[in-house]
Amino acid sequence: MKTLFIAIMTTSMLLTSTHALANNVTFIIDDIKSDQGKVYVQLFQGEKNYQANNAYLSSIAIAKKGQITITFNNLEDNDYGIRYFHDENDNSAMETNLFGMPIEGYGYSNSAKANYGPVEYQAIKFQVADAAVTNRSTINY
Amino acid sequence: MQRRQLLKNIAGASTCIGASSLLMSVPFAVNAKIVNKNQIDPLANIKTSFADALKDNPSLLGLKNTANNFAHQQLTIEGKLPKDLTGVFYRNGPAKYEQGNQRYSHQFEGDGMINSFTFANGNIVHQGKFVETTKFVQEQQQNKFLYSGPLSDIKNSRKVTQADTVNTANINVIPVDDEIWALWESGSATALDATTLATKRRVNLGANSQYGDKLKGLAFSAHPKIEANGDIWNFGLSLSGHVALYQLSSKGLMKNVGIINARYRGKMLHDFLITHKHILLILPSLTSQADRSHSNLKLFASIEYDSKQPMRVLVIDKQTLTLKKQYELDAGFAFHFGNAWEENDGTIHFDASINDNFKVMDELSEIMSGTAKNLDQNSPHTALFTLKPNGGTTKVVVDGDSEFPRVYDHLVGQRNKTLYTLSHTQSQFWRDTVCCLNMDSGKKDTFIYGDEFIAEEHIIISNTAKEGDGYLLGTALHIPSKRTCLNIFSANNLKGGPICRAWLPYHLPLGLHGNFKAS
Ligand SMILES: [Fe+2]
Repeated sequence: MKTLFIAIMTTSMLLTSTHALANNVTFIIDDIKSDQGKVYVQLFQGEKNYQANNAYLSSIAIAKKGQITITFNNLEDNDYGIRYFHDENDNSAMETNLFGMPIEGYGYSNSAKANYGPVEYQAIKFQVADAAVTNRSTINY
Repeated sequence: MQRRQLLKNIAGASTCIGASSLLMSVPFAVNAKIVNKNQIDPLANIKTSFADALKDNPSLLGLKNTANNFAHQQLTIEGKLPKDLTGVFYRNGPAKYEQGNQRYSHQFEGDGMINSFTFANGNIVHQGKFVETTKFVQEQQQNKFLYSGPLSDIKNSRKVTQADTVNTANINVIPVDDEIWALWESGSATALDATTLATKRRVNLGANSQYGDKLKGLAFSAHPKIEANGDIWNFGLSLSGHVALYQLSSKGLMKNVGIINARYRGKMLHDFLITHKHILLILPSLTSQADRSHSNLKLFASIEYDSKQPMRVLVIDKQTLTLKKQYELDAGFAFHFGNAWEENDGTIHFDASINDNFKVMDELSEIMSGTAKNLDQNSPHTALFTLKPNGGTTKVVVDGDSEFPRVYDHLVGQRNKTLYTLSHTQSQFWRDTVCCLNMDSGKKDTFIYGDEFIAEEHIIISNTAKEGDGYLLGTALHIPSKRTCLNIFSANNLKGGPICRAWLPYHLPLGLHGNFKAS
């Protein structure tokens, strides 16, 4: 019985890991300006969740001058968007000026950029379906 | 065509015309170049149109594109240069209108250039240098426009992630401590070396203060009011309709910041006033269409004059930076105000160079293609307003047109008896007259340069705190000889003409505002 249980578990793990390999997202952020603080990265599934600020997965990376890579594994097939900021002063929040505009580095998947207004989900979204995905972004300071 | 519509058509032209031209250019490849030149790119048309207009109308000279900085050049002095006039006269204004085959569709889009006139050892030496904003540096490197402006649409424009991305630092310049600050109105000030005019940095308003980076990127408008004690007062408009209010020390250190929700939808607010107790935000009768991010309208084209919308005056306490009172005035639009002051009972007086329309914005667009017909018809006039503590208001209109109002530095926020302005007399196009209005008697002391000259803003320089003392100083472009001259008047005798005139051997681009740093 115990053996059977292990066998089933192993099989399911195998299945899971096979699936996870396929649905991994490798997200590369370029041009990080310093080793100070952390980089907060949020992955959103679908436009509604993006607008509702409801992250599917979040990750915090130690900041590193130049490039950092974050991976999100084992995702469901769907479209996703990523938003991040460089919390340089390490206070766990994105600093904004008094008009609410960011004053710490930030960015989006597809390297989407704001243009005289907020960044729409359509500009940041990418598909995940049975294949590994690599997405790049240059940070804005 | 309605004038408002004109701006919209310019702003929307590339999308409307672009699509049909694209279809045409496939079968008629030979015509592609012509199609491209005449239809696809409105900014190339503007450049061609201006060059053609300039051939017939030499007075457009001052709006020609400026390609390079101006090296040091000693001026040729006529008359007697006053010995007590020493220091530097700084001026700012748009100068870079063209890159490649494109020309901007609005004068306000040009990159700023600082012109300085140094008065020392009985001589005057000029130099001119572009403000090296990030936008200017990038575009110069590539010899093309990279960013769409508030009216001009640049194909494949780089993204404008914040206002400072397209900061042109092109409106005014003030001395601050041992630097000068080149001012725009939608983003940060730019600090320059006061001697070399070399660009140093984008000013972080909260630096070395309790505000830290919290003020980074906030708008710092182009008409700060500097009180006699040296404090620098200013505001910055957010597109959300909020207004930030600033009090800085004479060294440029932030002392106090407040935010008022002005609920102002006009998106453009150029000037303001202070009294000894209050800040006055005077909101013109402008409104705007739906949020810009959801339409293709460019900022300038999205702003509308609404003759049913009163001008509003927000009276803000200088100590607490909170709103104390509001007044409604007749509908109007003003770029500039001269001064405000307040009586013991709270009655507030101020003047405005005011108009009952916003056509000037279209004219400053038409002028870029050399197609504006006249500029005097819609020139503003001085109106004197009184705001009573009981909520009542009065308005007195002064005869004749007027713009670029200035008062003595020591009277900013205090009662002024004189107001210096520019106006039109002989020229239907350019301002050719300087005027000193005596607010008590209503009398005017004027000097008419005449239609061979284009007079620019004139400022008052005085070593004493007495109206009538000192000099009035300003540049004028002499059209026939294509030269710019500096003119010095006795402040109490404009009609006597300049007591000294100093010539450059060439002309400078027409500018906007400037200030003097005495030494
Ligand atoms: Fe101005």
